[in-house]
Amino acid sequence: MSMVQLLQTNAQAAPAKPRPRVRLLPYLLSLPALLVCVAILVPFVTAAVYSLQRYRLNLPYLRGFIGAGNYIDFLSDPAFWNTFRISITYTAVTVVLELLLGLGIALLLRRPTRFHNAVSIMLLLPLMTAPAIAALMWKLMTNPSFGILSYLVGLFGVTDFKWASDPSSALFTVVLVDVWVYTPFIMILLLAGLRSLPRQPFEAAALDGVPASFVFFRITLPMLAPYIITASLFRLLDSIQQFDIIYAMTQGGPGDRLMVFQVQAYLEFFQYTNVGRSAALLMILWLITNILSNIFIKNWLRLRARAHGHA
Amino acid sequence: MARLEINAVSKAFGAARPADGLSLAVEPGEIVAVFGPSGSGKTVLLRMIAGMFEPDDGDILVGGRSVVGAPPERRGIGMAFQNFALFPHMTARDNIASGLRASGSEVASRVAAISKLLKIEHVLGHAPRELSNGQKQRTALARALIGNPDVLLLDDPLRNVDAKLRYEMRLELPNLLRRGTAAVLYVTQDYREAMAIADRLAVLIDGRFAQVATPADIYAQPASVAIARLFGDPTINLAEVSPVAEHGMLSAMVAGARMRLGAADGAASPGSCWLGVRPEDLAVSSASGDGAIPARILAITPMHEKAVLLLRLADGTEWLAALPPDAPQGAADDSVFVRFASDAAMLFDRATGLRIGPTHRLKAA
Amino acid sequence: MEHSSLAGRIFRGVALTLILIFFMFPIVWIFLMSFQTNEQILRIPPRILFEPTFANYEALISGQLRTAAGNLQISFMRNLFNSVVLSSAAVLLALLLGVPAAYAFARFKFRLGESIAFTLLSFRFAPPLLVLLPLSLYYQELGLNDTYFGIVWVYQLIALPLILWIVRGYFEDISPDIEHAYRLAGHSWREAFTRIAVPLAGPGIAAAGLLSFIFCWNNFVFALILASADKQPVTVGALAFVTASGIQYGQIAAAIVLSVTPTLLLALYAQRYLVEGLSLGAVKG
Repeated sequence: MSMVQLLQTNAQAAPAKPRPRVRLLPYLLSLPALLVCVAILVPFVTAAVYSLQRYRLNLPYLRGFIGAGNYIDFLSDPAFWNTFRISITYTAVTVVLELLLGLGIALLLRRPTRFHNAVSIMLLLPLMTAPAIAALMWKLMTNPSFGILSYLVGLFGVTDFKWASDPSSALFTVVLVDVWVYTPFIMILLLAGLRSLPRQPFEAAALDGVPASFVFFRITLPMLAPYIITASLFRLLDSIQQFDIIYAMTQGGPGDRLMVFQVQAYLEFFQYTNVGRSAALLMILWLITNILSNIFIKNWLRLRARAHGHA
Repeated sequence: MARLEINAVSKAFGAARPADGLSLAVEPGEIVAVFGPSGSGKTVLLRMIAGMFEPDDGDILVGGRSVVGAPPERRGIGMAFQNFALFPHMTARDNIASGLRASGSEVASRVAAISKLLKIEHVLGHAPRELSNGQKQRTALARALIGNPDVLLLDDPLRNVDAKLRYEMRLELPNLLRRGTAAVLYVTQDYREAMAIADRLAVLIDGRFAQVATPADIYAQPASVAIARLFGDPTINLAEVSPVAEHGMLSAMVAGARMRLGAADGAASPGSCWLGVRPEDLAVSSASGDGAIPARILAITPMHEKAVLLLRLADGTEWLAALPPDAPQGAADDSVFVRFASDAAMLFDRATGLRIGPTHRLKAA
Repeated sequence: MEHSSLAGRIFRGVALTLILIFFMFPIVWIFLMSFQTNEQILRIPPRILFEPTFANYEALISGQLRTAAGNLQISFMRNLFNSVVLSSAAVLLALLLGVPAAYAFARFKFRLGESIAFTLLSFRFAPPLLVLLPLSLYYQELGLNDTYFGIVWVYQLIALPLILWIVRGYFEDISPDIEHAYRLAGHSWREAFTRIAVPLAGPGIAAAGLLSFIFCWNNFVFALILASADKQPVTVGALAFVTASGIQYGQIAAAIVLSVTPTLLLALYAQRYLVEGLSLGAVKG
């Protein structure tokens, strides 16, 4: 409902009734936010334009419009498909693991006892650690010469496990860090969701002696679905753009083993100074995230309406 | 001293028209109750006067000066809200004092005076969440009254207080409101409250004033069948009739009995009508005779000051009769006869719902 | 939920213990490591009990780092200082810009407002490099590259959507009648905003501010691209420090501890609001 209109300086003056209503105020208030918006949209459009150009910082005289050239090049470029495959694999593996683990922990902590609350607060600490710093922590722990984790797997007879520096275990290692940082995100959202569910269905099921598995699959999961969908989409969107952990851990290596979208685009830009290619890569990533974020925002708005009591 | 004048005010929200050409004037010191079913546009009207949104068309004047387009704080209006709208982070005292732009000592003395009047001196230091609903409501009233506004708007202020307090306030409010010279517009959904508090009633139905008159006039001479049904508990009894005029008298068959309905205005019969008779105007006895409708008692509800009988007339119509508790009532399943005086009958046009007389029913107030 | 069965309780106990170990161990271990000399760190098998040393912290704070190759000047405290300045300034600016806008979006439903709110929201989920890379070229032309202001400005990408959407929710939860009542009592719009709306949305504003601070502090990629050494926050600084110091593992651990302590403490302080902040206001804890 709209309500106030201000900034009329002459309330008494003109006798003409109904005066045109001046509603500048909302616009004035949101002007700064609008500026920030513009500051985002201008570079975004610029990036879209760059992606249609041959544009290399070291060869400025070659710059020119080449249409979809950069995109077409990707189709036959194994490096692109490697990036695509690694990004999707990374995203799928992290989100599935974090969802399963997060849901499991949330179920364990469901009853709001003091102990459970203390545990859930402690589990938030990894999430509040900067991901780049978290990668450094794990780098220290997986150091081949003194890392505690290298020592521990050694106890189990696995010697010479090289973690992130070995192509065969690099993905596993960064996924491990991602899971360490972000599982608490899923956990805390699902825990809040679980605790907000109405009690009657569960009490009724308990009275009727319904088996626990039935309660879980037929009552808990469906009721929790909006939270699960929102949390997973949230993670999906962040995970497919993962940069900090991978860059801090291996800069995309070893070789091109962890060359996800944003790391690849970063290197295209700063190492190979190929702005056009970098922009095209990011536009493709944007397209993917844009589709996902539209779905996400729909679900998110529904949850938000529920949280604010006007569902 | 300022008069509130609403001239042909209209407001639409999409397809809904909560105000459709509303006109009303409230004199200084007068209390006008805006009464209507929920969704009829009462709150929208108050909010346009208060300046929360502007009318699409028409004008609103306070003391002869248009306030349309003026910000709320410059309209000289005080308002009490249905949900109290107290400032949760301020004490009752600061809530009340927020309406004053004055120096410290004057604020203190005026807050003291108004809170004494409203009997809330002992809770002035409390935060709103520590107050009972009654105290909240009095605090909100004090806040609206303290600035001596030209126009006082009360949006169903007794809606959220308990029954006992509502009854007390109904007696207390008219005195309180008449202390000043404010033009008071009082919105309510409770017809008893409206009749108890107001000098005049404005009945709002579907964004239009269906009738503006004194409470007694509206009860005795409702302009339409819709208004007749809004006032009275139990509600008015209705029956479909086709009156005929004979020797200057109207009469009609009601459930097999010929009932006299008073003097005919003209020679012509009014056609198909709704007959309305208030439950307290019915007499019930076991004696048959002329002008008595045969009926059967279905149920009796004793209600202390009266007894309400649910009757089924011979043609199946169900009517209610409200009788004095000491009157002979009979028992459920008894066969009885129902009578009413010809001047108790109201006739409404079937097609338009408007009352078509007789006009003589005005009782001395 | 099986509340009672013994097997169930044992299972839950074991599971919770494993979970706690997995999530807490790295933090505890790095914390312990920061109080060890390099010799202690390199000892195999590792020991839980050791004689703590503050040498790592002393070296970081004094900025003098002794390595095998000789003395090294390090500016980690400078990074820490930068993080404080950048994150605080970014949050202040975001509150200044975001709170009035959030109020406008909550109270006046207007198309431009919704467009701004949703644009900022959707760019919260767009690849940051997409905006950052062209922006870095613009910044070079505008002379904003490697300035505090330039970095604070792009931090709005993180802080503003958060503040806008959380605070908007708080404003929406305040009954407009309360503000109407204040205005009818003779106060201007501005007074109603500062004395009624802002105090009542206070907890939400504080929570959104704290969370934005954490997220700005934890950000890595923005400063990586837009800041050179003397403007870098700890996230970028720590990585550079690892490269520079080589094998001074104790100092690296100490630098990590110093980098994460402020946000972890803030998170503990604001934990009541974390759920709401993490979900951008969609889930209340």
